[in-house]
Amino acid sequence: MFRIPIQELEEKAYRIRRDLIDLIYRTGSGHLDTSLSLVEVWLALVYSDFFRCDPQDGGWSGRDRVFLSEGHACPLQYLVNADLGFHSRDEVFEGDRRPFTPFQGHTLRNLAYGLENSNGSLGIGIWQAYGHALEVDRWVFCIAGDGEFEEPSSQGLLSAPHFLRPVPNYILILNQNGLAQDAPVELGPLSEVAKLYDWQVLQVDGHDFEALGEVYRQAVEELRRPSLIICRTIKGKGGDPALEGKLGQHGRPPKTEEAYQAYLVGLEASRRV
Amino acid sequence: MREGFGEALVEAGKRWPDLRVLDAGTKNSTMSELFQRAFPDRFYTLGINEPGMIGLAAGIAMAGRRVVACDMSVFLHHAYAHIRAAARQGDDLHLVITASHTGVAVGPDGASAQDTTDLARMRLIPNFIIVTPWDGAQVRRIVEVILEEKGCYYLRLNRPKIPVFLKEPAPFEIGRAYRLREGERVTVVALGDKVYSALTAAEALGDGYADVIGVATLEPLDVDTILASAARTGRVVTVEDHMYVGGLFESVAGLLARRHPTKMRRVGLDRLFTTSGEPDELARIYELDTKAVVHVCREFVEGGAG
Repeated sequence: MFRIPIQELEEKAYRIRRDLIDLIYRTGSGHLDTSLSLVEVWLALVYSDFFRCDPQDGGWSGRDRVFLSEGHACPLQYLVNADLGFHSRDEVFEGDRRPFTPFQGHTLRNLAYGLENSNGSLGIGIWQAYGHALEVDRWVFCIAGDGEFEEPSSQGLLSAPHFLRPVPNYILILNQNGLAQDAPVELGPLSEVAKLYDWQVLQVDGHDFEALGEVYRQAVEELRRPSLIICRTIKGKGGDPALEGKLGQHGRPPKTEEAYQAYLVGLEASRRV
Repeated sequence: MREGFGEALVEAGKRWPDLRVLDAGTKNSTMSELFQRAFPDRFYTLGINEPGMIGLAAGIAMAGRRVVACDMSVFLHHAYAHIRAAARQGDDLHLVITASHTGVAVGPDGASAQDTTDLARMRLIPNFIIVTPWDGAQVRRIVEVILEEKGCYYLRLNRPKIPVFLKEPAPFEIGRAYRLREGERVTVVALGDKVYSALTAAEALGDGYADVIGVATLEPLDVDTILASAARTGRVVTVEDHMYVGGLFESVAGLLARRHPTKMRRVGLDRLFTTSGEPDELARIYELDTKAVVHVCREFVEGGAG
């Protein structure tokens, strides 16, 4: 299932959460809650045994693509890429949201750094990734947010297998943390609609490595249709327990030493290893 | 101009096996259907889905393909966020966005279909090279050239049949404007199909009167050619089928204000919604035709006003 034992993945998840909290507290801005919600989702993907990339050669044509459509989760993207060896962790801490670094406030495409697409405005990366999947012979994963599907053109993407062409190498990973910037968000009949348009729809607990590994396996074994994986997650997972899954934290990092410490206490309490 | 475009795409398709063409439900207007007939496996038709088309086009270009995405200009308003996002992907993309049906020359369909602000919108997005062909012959040459060299291009086509006045191969280099006729009294800078109006106006004004500069690349603008002409004549008139806001006039005015302040006049649209009518009729109503160019030049040069 994974290239490393699940216990090691749990340990990585803990360390990356700690880095996310430290990084975003230090930078003073950034989307900590979204990043925390995706830690297991992202690690499970890039450590799945089928997943291929070459951190020494980011543009390698044989790589599996990971598009990030909800670009505000880029701090996690930078830290996972550091873990994979695309660049150092220190480089992220020095460069996050600083002028002219590869670590902009939303991703700037840079294949050497493992950054597949520039992003920010929502509902765009999901389409770019679909176009990409039409033309490359590798897996194209795209991580998107649930709020992103309030965008009508995003709902339109669901019709692409029917009106355009089904691309089985397209795997859309939907981060269902249930909270957009200013309001809760629900998917409504999205999964039923996706099925009608010929998606394989999979649902999973987005914080459970074993379950994630299993749905990723099912997705890559599907040879006819694209897959939509709905990952149920908790915004702010593993941070300050008082703020986990709470509205109003979008893009609001801890601003005081006290708030920061509350995140660290929450992280230690949630540690599973 | 559009037939020239469709035929040029087919030729380019033979030359470049990686060329992909997309259209959002207007393939018989943009004439991209000629490419579809020749290369059905390399053509994606989206239906009325402009954001989706540009999103797909960017993703395909990110896979290293040459991509041409076609639509009627006014519908590309829907896709503006996607166009901006595409331009931010880096300099290794090879993406051409082709917009047909620009200016009041669209005619009877009226203001809703006449895109008179496209140049302004595209100038606001860094990295886009904005190409404004003068006739069908130049369109063919432009398609050849811009599919050679990587980059993000915006190709502005017009609807009406205008005379092909350039001999093939038509002149075109990215970033170069052409001095098409020499004159001493006024510089006329024109783009797109208005180059033809500028030339016929210059003819009417007589030998040695108007220095005509044809702009086939609005961004980047050929600064040297325009400045040299402005320095020679001391008067500049711009001619465009576009609102003056954000188009050729403001681009040239900005250049001259910075580098060589020069008196100017403009032939172009005011900031307004236009009306239905036949193309020639609208060119007359909005004072974009040859007669208008002659009138503006004469009054500018001979009217005595500053």
